[in-house]
Amino acid sequence: MKAMSRDRLLAWLEELAGRSTLIGPRIVGEKILYKPVHHSAEIVLDFAKTDLSAKEYFLPSTEAILSVKREKKGFDVEEPSLHGRQIIFGLRPCDARALRVLDALFLNKEPADPYYAERREKTTLIGLACREMGDECFCTSLGLAPDEANDVDLMLTEMAGEYAIRAVTAKGKALLGAAVLQEVEGVPPNPFVRQKQVPILEVGKWPERFDSPFWAHLSDRCLSCRLCTYVCPTCRCFDIRDVELSDKEIERLRAWDSCMAEGYRRIAGGHNPRPAKAERLRNRFYCKFCYYPQDFGPVACVGCGRCIAQCPVNVDAVEVLEGLSAL
Amino acid sequence: MAQNPYRPALGTLVGVKDLATDIKLFQVALDNRQEGRGGFQPQPSYRPGQFAFVSAFGVGEAPFCLTSTTRRSQALEFAVNKIGTVTEALHRLGEGDVVGVRGPFGNWFPMEEMRGKHIILLGGGIGGAPLRPVIHTILDDRANYGKLTILWAARLPSLLIFREEFDSWRAAPDTELHLTVDQGDETWKGNVGLITELLEKVAPSPEEAVTITCGPPIMIKFVMLTLAKLGFAPEQMIMTLEAKMKCGMGKCGRCNLGEKYVCTDGPVFSYAEVRSFLESY
Repeated sequence: MKAMSRDRLLAWLEELAGRSTLIGPRIVGEKILYKPVHHSAEIVLDFAKTDLSAKEYFLPSTEAILSVKREKKGFDVEEPSLHGRQIIFGLRPCDARALRVLDALFLNKEPADPYYAERREKTTLIGLACREMGDECFCTSLGLAPDEANDVDLMLTEMAGEYAIRAVTAKGKALLGAAVLQEVEGVPPNPFVRQKQVPILEVGKWPERFDSPFWAHLSDRCLSCRLCTYVCPTCRCFDIRDVELSDKEIERLRAWDSCMAEGYRRIAGGHNPRPAKAERLRNRFYCKFCYYPQDFGPVACVGCGRCIAQCPVNVDAVEVLEGLSAL
Repeated sequence: MAQNPYRPALGTLVGVKDLATDIKLFQVALDNRQEGRGGFQPQPSYRPGQFAFVSAFGVGEAPFCLTSTTRRSQALEFAVNKIGTVTEALHRLGEGDVVGVRGPFGNWFPMEEMRGKHIILLGGGIGGAPLRPVIHTILDDRANYGKLTILWAARLPSLLIFREEFDSWRAAPDTELHLTVDQGDETWKGNVGLITELLEKVAPSPEEAVTITCGPPIMIKFVMLTLAKLGFAPEQMIMTLEAKMKCGMGKCGRCNLGEKYVCTDGPVFSYAEVRSFLESY
């Protein structure tokens, strides 16, 4: 196997940071987040999972999609030029798979989203296999593995102080370029995988559970705080609105939105087909496991468990999936 | 970016007319169709039932049905009810002002399949707007459609839209226009009552007929029940639904009803389809 020592890896990342935008896991306050890295010393190599996924770098929480200048008569509309190439280091397999899920909607469903497509095209993904599944992780129930390499360009797996490295795509191979690798014996150890599987109902089994009182019971404690949607690597709902920067300058912004908010589905005139918390919570789960697969292909959950870890009132996706399958 | 579906084409307001209290008709002449860069792509032509986003730059954009037909109007026409921030901003604009338009989006009424059939249209308030291009299409191709029955309703007489066209609709061959308001005023001599009551009174036959309904969801619900009572099958009941969508392309997630998206699967649906949705509109 080809591998790099830890020091060699950090030196290579330092080099990458010097010539490209490098994004990697960093400690920010009490969180670990994917953030731009200027020196490899800022990177955390030993971490379980970042608190937020890398979704931000493809579908930013807020981005200007148009800039509009007020002219004497009328307007001049311009599309912002997106930043250059970026490399994301230390992407976990679940977060890499989440990009495939978003691709199904933003790239494969016509018309492609030009902003997402450009960022995706300009980004190289360096994956870092998990050594073990975390407390809230259930990726294996969704057909993933903690060392899944199929969704990144380059895959790194830790083995006895070395990092085994494998180019998965041509993009990954090109990035690796002339980096100095050493030959090591053996294969990376298998990650620790929990045996327990969370039941994921097939699409056809969802409709019969739609009218169950289960949803009202579950939503009693939901605060409609929207955190689950913001930390989710596959939730992608967005709003578009304008802001006036000055008398002459307007930006049209796209920002993350959440189906958990009361006003989200309300129509002009005030009618709301989803006024109750139970209906909104139900919609979120149906979107992920029933509607999204029907409309776009993949299930819109990668089992990262962030919604479980960060829900303030412990609405637990695993409990929901288990409860539903027991109905 | 070669093709950006979020980029609106610029257009000038060549007409702004009062249609009813707080409802105006905006006529937009596209300055530059910006083919190939997003904007408004009218090829081959937009159809009755389709919608587009209109921008009031600085405030935002919102979806509106196209209430014109390419045959009758060079300009794109939108009927806008002042009801939120974007519509308030649009209502502040006048002739000569510039707006953005992107579209057209969505499916359309099955005008070809409707040929030879009797057509019953039920419009409530601003919900009459998507029906106007249907009326124009039928009247401009009169021989190819059966009897046209229009039931046009509003809460108040002052909220009836396209009043200045009523005479020309009534004058068309084999065409009936029935009006009703929930509440009359001193000048109102016509029907007072809900559109469902009017529908029961007019009692159109379901034989070889197609209905199209547009209005607030509560009206649609009760019109469907009344149509069923009159013997119409769910496949004969067509409706157009509304949602506060943001993209028009199935991406923003805003407008789903179960696994269907109002923007790309609709906005035109038959009641047979709508009944099969997991989620009610």
